[in-house]
Amino acid sequence: MIRVEGLRKGFRTRNGVVRAVDGVDFEAADGQITGLLGPNGAGKTTTLRMLYTLMAPEAGRVLVDGLDAAAEPARVRARLGVLPDARGLYKRLTARENVAYFGELHGLDTALIEARTVRLCAELDMHEFIDRRTEGFSHGQRTKTAIARALVHDPRNVVLDEPTNGLDVMTTRALRRFLLSLRDDGRCVLFSSHIMQEVARLCDRIVVIAHGRVVAAGTPDQLRASTGCENLEDAFVKAIGTEEGLYA
Amino acid sequence: MRALWVVLRKELLDAFRDRRMVAVAFLVMPLAVPVVLAGTAALGARKQAAQFESTLELPVVGAEHAPNLVDWLEQHNLDVVAAPADPDAAVRAQRHDVILRIASSYGEDWRAGRPAGVEVIFDSSRPMASGATIARVRGLLDGYSDTVGTLRLIARGVHPAVARPLLVGTRDVATPEARFDLTQQLLPYLLLLLAFIGGMQLAIDATAGERERQSLEPLLATPASREAIISAKILATAVFALITIAVTLLAYRVSFTVLPDDISGTDFALGPGALAQLLLVILPIVLLGATVLTALAAYARSYREAQGYLPLLIFLPMVPTLVLMVAPVRTQAWMLAVPFLGQNQLILKILRAEEVGPVEWALSLGAGLALVALAWLVAARLYHREHLAASS
Repeated sequence: MIRVEGLRKGFRTRNGVVRAVDGVDFEAADGQITGLLGPNGAGKTTTLRMLYTLMAPEAGRVLVDGLDAAAEPARVRARLGVLPDARGLYKRLTARENVAYFGELHGLDTALIEARTVRLCAELDMHEFIDRRTEGFSHGQRTKTAIARALVHDPRNVVLDEPTNGLDVMTTRALRRFLLSLRDDGRCVLFSSHIMQEVARLCDRIVVIAHGRVVAAGTPDQLRASTGCENLEDAFVKAIGTEEGLYA
Repeated sequence: MRALWVVLRKELLDAFRDRRMVAVAFLVMPLAVPVVLAGTAALGARKQAAQFESTLELPVVGAEHAPNLVDWLEQHNLDVVAAPADPDAAVRAQRHDVILRIASSYGEDWRAGRPAGVEVIFDSSRPMASGATIARVRGLLDGYSDTVGTLRLIARGVHPAVARPLLVGTRDVATPEARFDLTQQLLPYLLLLLAFIGGMQLAIDATAGERERQSLEPLLATPASREAIISAKILATAVFALITIAVTLLAYRVSFTVLPDDISGTDFALGPGALAQLLLVILPIVLLGATVLTALAAYARSYREAQGYLPLLIFLPMVPTLVLMVAPVRTQAWMLAVPFLGQNQLILKILRAEEVGPVEWALSLGAGLALVALAWLVAARLYHREHLAASS
């Protein structure tokens, strides 16, 4: 379970301080898929980066399974499977070696890494390329390898930053099925997206972010009710206050 | 600790699979260094032979005033030719190393028994190119002057020894190993340079490259601490540089057994013990270089920017050599604690087959490793900056 309370973060730029995240609260429960929806530049990636301790928040805190990320960053990272926005692979290593490297960094032994790789390989349909060096991989193959590498330690909490970005229809559908299976295992799945349809189709709960703040949160039905819109898309636009950046 | 080992192993595996990096480190360097050093030595030996033994063409102004002197010079393997119109300009333009000018009053002075004027025209700003030639011409002139002077004394019934109150002899106490040539003066610099930046490509690739390929952020999202990650990357850089240096030294050593003596220059008769000592001396520099390179790669915003610091890094190991060239001083204890300078002195000692004492070892290694620790703290700080991974 992931809890985020009063998160704030600003960046200094030439034109003053940009408040990227300006008071974000939400909770992502186990056994649910929580979607972080918002237009580009709303503060989704920065929020997630503070969650997996890449950045330190100026205010607020992050709790993962009750552990404070500021106090115990390494233990928090061990409980998270992270697919960041940056998902580069080591091109001189095979997909299997890429996955094994992260398994070792999580402290797993060789036998366990092998067993997990076999399972992930089957679930993500990676047989064709698992023993190839990743140089020249297609976008889908790279994303699958990056997801396998993020999940090799079997984390209870899975955080994905725009996982379907740039994927073709077939891979997107496979990925959706995979996320649903993670949820059905009882994991806490949190992913960000700027694509409304994506979030609407997958999520049990939706957190809408705009201008660094949470502007609406709840199940799709709750969102429709609270905004008074029958159509989910209209509900989003009303919550965010603009249509800008909502469509990919 | 485990994370450190995991990252170190992966970085080395990654580097050894990079064919270009491996080819440069383990093929080009070990081939290039002996070729450059042996080539310099061979060139030097050949030039020396040419300057001392071959027939030297010597333009002489006013040769007609001193036919006997000209005869003497020609008997001593000099080819006296007509001088150009403007001798000073000709020397300055390097058309001739030396030009001799015989004063028009030469004959008159000679007959009167006064010192006759002879002028050697040369350019002292080119000691490397013309120093030997000048010395040769001067030696011949001194020889002529001595010979004629001795004859004159005898002709006046004076024993020539009267004009020689001193008998100056020389005794060279240098050991044979210490009489090394240019080749081995270059070696300390090359060694320090290789030690300092030998792992450059790996260091830049492992941090700036890792960030540019977008794999640094996922790496930092694992439980591995940044201290462990950066230490592993520094160690991988150091290991890679050390292997490069060991292979290069071995290749250099082997080149002396393969190449004929006159090409390879002075014998580089270092045994395995001395080679091991050389590696130990430069170990702090290897670690310092790896740490500084990694810190720079973390500081730079891109791969290219990191590579831009290269000229600065090449210059650093040169400083002590330059200082010693301008102001040669006797080795003092404090110098051993100065990075590069201390290593430079110890390398020279080892090449001269002199014993390096325990205090010298302690000073050099202690000061070097303390500096490495300091650089590590800076590098670790840079690795904790937020925009290290999250620049986009």
